[in-house]
Amino acid sequence: MKILVTGATGFIGQRLAIKLAKQGNEVHALCRDPFHPYLAEHHNVKPFKGDILDKQSLLNAIKDCTQVYHTAAMAKMWTHDKSEFHRVNVSGTRNVLEVAELSGIEKMVYTSSCGVIGPTINEPLSENDPRITGFPIDYERTKYLAELEVNNFAKRGFPVVTVNPSRVYGEGPVTDSNTVSKMVTGYLKGTWRIIPGNGEQIANYAYLDDVVNGHIAAMKQGKIGQRYILGGEDISFNSFFDVVQRVSGKKKRLYHLPQPVIKFYSYVEWLKTTLTGLPPVFLPEFADRLKYNQKYTSQKAIEQLTYKITPFEEGMERTVNYIRKCII
Amino acid sequence: MHHLTAIVTGASEGLGKCIAFELANYGVNLVLVSLPESGLPQLCDFIKKNYHVNVHKIETDLCRFENYESIFNELKEAGIRVDILINNAGVGNFALFLDKSLAFYKSQIQLNAMVPVLLTRLFLEQVKDNSPCYILNVGSLGGRFIMPQKQVYGATKSFVRYFTNCLRLELCDTNVSVSLLSPGGINTKPELLVLHNSLKGLSRASILEPEAVARIAIKGMFAGKKEIVPGRLNQLLVLLDSLLPAEIKDIIMKRRMKKIVSKNTHIQSAHAESLLKESMP
Repeated sequence: MKILVTGATGFIGQRLAIKLAKQGNEVHALCRDPFHPYLAEHHNVKPFKGDILDKQSLLNAIKDCTQVYHTAAMAKMWTHDKSEFHRVNVSGTRNVLEVAELSGIEKMVYTSSCGVIGPTINEPLSENDPRITGFPIDYERTKYLAELEVNNFAKRGFPVVTVNPSRVYGEGPVTDSNTVSKMVTGYLKGTWRIIPGNGEQIANYAYLDDVVNGHIAAMKQGKIGQRYILGGEDISFNSFFDVVQRVSGKKKRLYHLPQPVIKFYSYVEWLKTTLTGLPPVFLPEFADRLKYNQKYTSQKAIEQLTYKITPFEEGMERTVNYIRKCII
Repeated sequence: MHHLTAIVTGASEGLGKCIAFELANYGVNLVLVSLPESGLPQLCDFIKKNYHVNVHKIETDLCRFENYESIFNELKEAGIRVDILINNAGVGNFALFLDKSLAFYKSQIQLNAMVPVLLTRLFLEQVKDNSPCYILNVGSLGGRFIMPQKQVYGATKSFVRYFTNCLRLELCDTNVSVSLLSPGGINTKPELLVLHNSLKGLSRASILEPEAVARIAIKGMFAGKKEIVPGRLNQLLVLLDSLLPAEIKDIIMKRRMKKIVSKNTHIQSAHAESLLKESMP
């Protein structure tokens, strides 16, 4: 079977492409740079030079495909031109939907994010829970608007399923969106020395291989027009670094940085970026988010997609080994 | 504050939803009113699961006259007396006057102006004389400033402003505290998210997130404030408005009008509108 994967050089896309290729499918890997170092090397992976903003290139890449995985996105904290978030994440997704509908593909899986579902009050959030805050974060806002585009297509009968991975970690390249590997790499090198706030802030960590399997299961048995959280365990920053310490055997003293200090620093960074255009290390809207937990339940995916969660300690051990072997 | 109960209209989305969360944070029991099929049952279940408050839901169309009284009748039958009324439901618009239909303006005026007045009347009939009660009417900075493309919306919010201030005067020696919330732009609906993020400079900086507005609003309401203007920049605008001579304000607004009608914004608002049409039921 021929399958189009957009974002085939991204953290999720590259792993998904190789898995589909190994299953014997011909993967049409859409990428802006066909010689990108993260592009999966496999005889079944065919690079197609293109861009989701260029519909003609999408039409070329989708030829003869029966399935589409749309994983491409602007998954960064910041970019020089803010309107790029909207262009790539919203208009780009609309382009993929239009081209996929036009070419009559059988089914599409759209990679959204738990960022669309947002922060938690007490109980872990599920797919239908209301959002408790607005969308100050560009990435989350544009992924939400993209989900609305996807829903519009699903409503008129186009076969598309949405998956919402949480904070994904695992064995793969350290991309802009792969914040966990950035932290872990920093910890192992000794350049990451802080824990935000009191370290009790909880987030949900999804193991990359689980997320990839979740994508494939969503293609197989996901219900049209539905969304599925693909998550993992809810872990606090303190336990996160306890586990990293345990599996790496490397003990580093970490310092707790109070939230107000982080917020102040984020304003300094914001001012720097506004005045000079240099990329910020951190922004105020992200500092605000540190006040909330982000807990999610993957129960729906477990029930309907037979989604499986790798225990955090096991996944982190493999991740640390991978980073030691391939990155440091 | 344990035994207070609040009724919030337009509670399923945007500011109303965030006000509901904020009140639940204070331990206030809730009666949430919203249109059928706007996600109200999910919201109520969510609040019950995450906070220790009672939540009662009323799915009704406030544009239908017979529905007002039935709200309070239903509450009476359920044995619920409310101490807080949040008149939040409303319809905004951002279009030239001739671009919207008669039906749109009719329901906009009804929802924004008539509903708060009649609900306030019904609310006051059932409050007790000795316990503290609060009314929070959601107005807008658009009720203070003449803003292009907000003719009818701004007029309804001016109405709410007058009504609220006058009622506050009338009830100043009673246990009922009446407050007006006058927010600027809030990031709520999808089309506003698109529109607000295409703004630049001060206009962009004056836009607030709904949870921030809700926090300031509820704090101000309990403090018995007359008018709550969230955001320092918006407060500065209000101050400037009272200082600047009318002629200069006219010039500024005319320049803004020209900018707004420029092609660029037209395309963006057209896109935003189409997004709204497609995404809303």
